[in-house]
Amino acid sequence: MISLRKVWTVAERDIRMFLRYKFLLIMRAIWFVSQIALFGLVVNRMFRPDVQSAVGGNYFNYYAAGIIITMLYSTTVFIGYDIYEEADHGVIEYLLSVPVSRKELVLGRSIGGGLRSFLYVGPMMLFVLYLIGVSNILQLLVALLSLFLFTFGTAGFSITLAVSIKSSDRFDILMGVTDALIVRLSTTLYPIAYMPQYYAGVASINPLTFAADLFRWGAGMESTAFTPPLLAAFGIVAFFSIFTFLGIFLHERRLEGGGWQ
Amino acid sequence: MAPIIRMVNLTKKFGEFTAVDHLNLEVEEGEILGLLGPNGAGKTTTLLMLTTVIKPTDGTAFVGPYDVSKEPDKARTLVGMAFQEPKLLWVDSPWDILNWHAKVCGLSAEERKKRVRWVLEQVELWNDRFKSVHAFSGGMRKRVEIAKILIQRPKIAIVDEPTAQIDIVGKHRIWNMLRDLRDEGSTILLATNELYEADVLSDRVAIMHKGKLLVCDEPKKLKDSIPGGDVVEIALEKDVPNAVLAKLKEIPRVVNVLAIKQNQLKIYLNQAEEVLPKITEFFMKEQLPVRSIHMSEPSLDDVFAHYTGLTIEEAQRE
Repeated sequence: MISLRKVWTVAERDIRMFLRYKFLLIMRAIWFVSQIALFGLVVNRMFRPDVQSAVGGNYFNYYAAGIIITMLYSTTVFIGYDIYEEADHGVIEYLLSVPVSRKELVLGRSIGGGLRSFLYVGPMMLFVLYLIGVSNILQLLVALLSLFLFTFGTAGFSITLAVSIKSSDRFDILMGVTDALIVRLSTTLYPIAYMPQYYAGVASINPLTFAADLFRWGAGMESTAFTPPLLAAFGIVAFFSIFTFLGIFLHERRLEGGGWQ
Repeated sequence: MAPIIRMVNLTKKFGEFTAVDHLNLEVEEGEILGLLGPNGAGKTTTLLMLTTVIKPTDGTAFVGPYDVSKEPDKARTLVGMAFQEPKLLWVDSPWDILNWHAKVCGLSAEERKKRVRWVLEQVELWNDRFKSVHAFSGGMRKRVEIAKILIQRPKIAIVDEPTAQIDIVGKHRIWNMLRDLRDEGSTILLATNELYEADVLSDRVAIMHKGKLLVCDEPKKLKDSIPGGDVVEIALEKDVPNAVLAKLKEIPRVVNVLAIKQNQLKIYLNQAEEVLPKITEFFMKEQLPVRSIHMSEPSLDDVFAHYTGLTIEEAQRE
């Protein structure tokens, strides 16, 4: 039996910890501003009208929505780095000893890791939605709910990798490579129509594609979304379920204190 | 009374290395059981298996009615642990750490507030409650770690070297806190490599070496179990004839007599407090007036040496 109170207690701890990383929070915000105000604006001016029409008439809006998804992804995977910080100080062993089941621990960490990212990216998301101009609130709420699940799934993904690898150096390198591949092989920054076929095949099953397409659909940019919203939502639910299950499995069957590098 | 912890062939291997080797040990409810042994004896590994932080390779342990291998979630509801190295993130403050710990252990908001304050005052960290533990000394961090079990008041408190890096005044304060915790109903399993701590704090001591349990009993019984463990040095006014020496050896519980000088004897015996009056009476009868008596009891180190051939210090270096 899972206790929601315990799940929330674990999640709340991760949210509180995140707010202490002031330097990270400030740097990520500066990164966002520079991506929108510099890169997005300049690149938008480079595109021909036919390209602009393929992304709904305005590449800047397409790009800004994509940047929100990459922000959500990169902020959420930070939970994996937290796990290494905790392993360094032995806090993992402490967390494994408290009266919380492994299921509650993984769910709490996934929710905490996702929610804190959502709360942090929230104001930037609102800013981008304001720039795009939202027409259908119900559609937006459905998209936001799916993005909630997307962040929980991403946190589960990061937790799963962190506890499987048990080496901070390897994890750091792997996350760098994963970030490069998962962002670039998705529709976050460019539409699938411009990708070579073999890239497009991978991009069409990428959770970031699902998240970016759903967010654009929710923001009223339906014509730019490659994946139908129902399919994208289903993909996100599958992503969330797989990595939450894997995280629980690893915590229950394999995770032990000690042996972290 | 039924044991509250029961270890049955509890074993942990790390690759080829056996850290805990078929450990069979029971802890009675309401006692303080000291696990004594040098570093590397397997004490911490045993404690980590009981708190389900690591899994046994073979055998198992029962915490209350729960098998740690089969029902780890339930086992953890009975256990609280203060780790050897304080498990704290450096950005944390004692208030945050203890408040969260109390919350995760299920204390209500009102109870939590009261108990966190009380414990912080007990460990003399109330004035530093909002400071980052980054700025704390080793001793202060250790006190935060101990405070966790004082907040939790678990059915079974597992404490790993609670007074390492703490000054003598602090040690006594922590020992008293642990005794109070026991008096309030907790069973305490204490791992230590400090002989004095094990001796004064434990109702029973289990001595471990190289992952194995050597012996477990009350400290006094352990010391008394060493043949000739007590040593009495007696200086006499006159020289002792050899015939008297031979008669002295016949007194029950006298194991050996060594004549350092003809009027100075070193007597190895058991239960000196009972035998010593008989010895003084014996010398009076033999018209040999006693000038001085010096008695030394065996320590737990002698017990360890008796079973291993090494002092704890030597075993630690090994």
